[in-house]
Amino acid sequence: MARRSQSTRLHLAVTILMCAFVSTDGVDMNDLLERASQLSDKLHSLSTSLTNDLDSHFPPIGGKMMRPSMCHTSSLQIPNDKDQALRVPENELLSLARSLLLAWSDPLALLSTESTTLPHPERSNINSKTKELQDHTNSLGAGLERLAFKMGPSSEALSSLPFYNNNLGQDKISRLANFHFLLSCFRRDSHKIDSFLKVLRCRAAKMRPEMC
Amino acid sequence: MGISSGPKPFLTVGVLFILLSPATGFSAPGRPRVINCRSPEKETFTCWWEPGDDGGLPTTYALYYRLEGSETIYECPDYKTAGENSCFFSKNDTSLWVDYNISVVASNDMGKSVSEPVEVDVVYIVQPNTPESVMVSVLEDNHGPYLRVDWEKPQSADTRSGWITLVYQLRVKQAKDETWEEYDAGMQKYYNVFSLHSGKEYMVQVRCKPDHGFWSEWTTPVYIQMPDYMPKERSMWIMVAVISAFLILLFGWTMNVKQNSVKHCLLPPVPGPKIQGFDQQLLKNGKSEEMFNALVIPGFPPTSTYEDLLVEYLEVYDDEKRELVLNEKNLIEGSMKSKSTSSDNDSGRGSCDSRTLLMEKCVDESGTEQELSQYGEASWASSDSEGRDNPASPGLEDGKVQMWPSVLSSPQSHNFQQQHPGGLRASHHSVPEISCVSPQVQTCCGQQDQLEGFQFSKPGLYRYAQMYSMDTIECKHVAQEPQSQSQSQSLSAEYVEVQTVNQENVLLVTPLSNPEGPNPELSDFSGEDYSKVRDVTSDNVLLLQRDLSVSQFVGDYCQDQIGQVDPCFLQQQQQEQTCKLNAHLHHPASTLQEDMRLAGNGYVDTTMMMS
Repeated sequence: MARRSQSTRLHLAVTILMCAFVSTDGVDMNDLLERASQLSDKLHSLSTSLTNDLDSHFPPIGGKMMRPSMCHTSSLQIPNDKDQALRVPENELLSLARSLLLAWSDPLALLSTESTTLPHPERSNINSKTKELQDHTNSLGAGLERLAFKMGPSSEALSSLPFYNNNLGQDKISRLANFHFLLSCFRRDSHKIDSFLKVLRCRAAKMRPEMC
Repeated sequence: MGISSGPKPFLTVGVLFILLSPATGFSAPGRPRVINCRSPEKETFTCWWEPGDDGGLPTTYALYYRLEGSETIYECPDYKTAGENSCFFSKNDTSLWVDYNISVVASNDMGKSVSEPVEVDVVYIVQPNTPESVMVSVLEDNHGPYLRVDWEKPQSADTRSGWITLVYQLRVKQAKDETWEEYDAGMQKYYNVFSLHSGKEYMVQVRCKPDHGFWSEWTTPVYIQMPDYMPKERSMWIMVAVISAFLILLFGWTMNVKQNSVKHCLLPPVPGPKIQGFDQQLLKNGKSEEMFNALVIPGFPPTSTYEDLLVEYLEVYDDEKRELVLNEKNLIEGSMKSKSTSSDNDSGRGSCDSRTLLMEKCVDESGTEQELSQYGEASWASSDSEGRDNPASPGLEDGKVQMWPSVLSSPQSHNFQQQHPGGLRASHHSVPEISCVSPQVQTCCGQQDQLEGFQFSKPGLYRYAQMYSMDTIECKHVAQEPQSQSQSQSLSAEYVEVQTVNQENVLLVTPLSNPEGPNPELSDFSGEDYSKVRDVTSDNVLLLQRDLSVSQFVGDYCQDQIGQVDPCFLQQQQQEQTCKLNAHLHHPASTLQEDMRLAGNGYVDTTMMMS
């Protein structure tokens, strides 16, 4: 009896400590969100510049053939306008952002591989930027995961968006076209992520009206 | 009716028109063009198109759009709100993250034309409205005035929810300038602008941009006037500058007023040569003769007979005392030495000081002087007298010597003393010299028996020159000196009278019969020639030389001249007359001339002659 009480007390103490630790970990949520929005902003800017580099020498080929609706992440249900977006709860927004981000880890790896041998005059530039894209995505994913942990268990539900292609094509034009298409899909999705995170940021920072 | 059925009736009508009216000048409209689409707040958006050629007929435009992934064609819901040739998409019609395929169709009776389709994603075409309520105010702090600009976000943009994030930018320039100064204000809605010029008018404009979108238009400029401001340091510097400028002006004015005295102080005037009687005017006139005549000073050089000058003369007579003195070399030397200490102050008066041995004052003022004077032997006589009178003349021992001028002033029997250390020395030297010279002269030149010479200082010489043959004296001295004191020798002095001094500074002397009884030997010289002034030594000794054939001269042996003196001196001791002296004497004319020195200042003093 005494041992049980002792072990119980020990467990309790540890739990309390852990809870305390968890709740009082150094980084504030606002700061986390701030950091995340900055990252997502950077991510989208990179993708935009990459698209411009790609389009500098070749007009969008197959733009009509491949629609953004054919992106592998199009199945994800996201708010289409502001009113809808503002109605979505925070954790769901976060979950959406995380799901999108997760869906792009594989395609970005493919893009990074393909960019080294891309038949394009700006290949070196594209290559470096693609690598950077990958890094930012990974760090943002880690940050969002932490954020999700802070927010609560409900934000942990993620949608799976698989990506099945393992190469961009065989011939030069296909490769370029597919590269361009993938990049456009990513650009849009990065904008989504950025938007959602900034909404989350302002929603959380009720004490700082000057920021929002 | 749907969009799809819309074009068909138009098309048939258009074709009919074309067929039915071939030459009416009308045609189908030209292709319109979608200019751009913009969304100010990421909630709505507007598209504008540019109409093409209308073909001369009233043309209508219609905008049709299609969403990606759907084939449904929609027509523009609102042609009015955004103005002409525009299509406004309201919130309900706007979907984000979806591509819109938009095209415009222009149609008239003749036909229609379709524009190029445009793919639009609303999130990429965000351009907010301009910021609002721009306020500029002037504030001040320690460093001066500055501008504070405040503004508001555009009303349409919902930044509160974070739906849209805006960053601001402002620019400032002087009203008259051309280039703007841009500042990034970030997400804040105010900004402080520093380092603006006081007293100038400035313009301020603000604009904004969404995080991923286009810059808005600039706000209308706000004009602001900066106040006049004088920083404290600048005012101080201005004060300093003003005061220093004032001081400089004052200084300059003072300098200007006192120009002359300043010039005197800084650049002392260099005395120019003044030639008495020089008249510039005459020179300018070009008559050189007149000018030169003007320079001539009447009465110069003196052409009067020299008899006036040489009225008085000394009487030199032989005396036992002198013999004693002569013999007493040591005494003489001692006296000489003692008196040699006194400095020679011959200042051009040609005083018979120093080298002159003629008129040395005897120690004994009365008789000795006379004796001295009587000697008239240049320095020798004087020295002799001094030496002789040494025991009896404390003055000599004391070295009391008076300047010649005093002597000169009262000619003849008066106490004249000369101050001539050199003379004393000379006499000192000369005494032995006399003794040495004279015998030497006699001995050496005795054969020649020609030497005659006198030393006298210039004025003294002129005035009181008592000339007498050296030979006699010398001979006597010679006779006496070697034997030192025992000899009693009557110095035979020949007295000469300076008759005249011709223009060449030649003293013409004539023998004078001594009232006291000239030495018989002297008489030998009565018919002697005049002495001629050979030269004037530096010790104010007039070197006389016998005129005519006989080259007679008196060397200033006993001057300070080492060359001449030393040998004599040495030989004195030895009681042997220097052969050098002898040599000197042997070659009187040449050597002596060489060794002669000008007496005193080296020039003939005319003052005494003229006085």
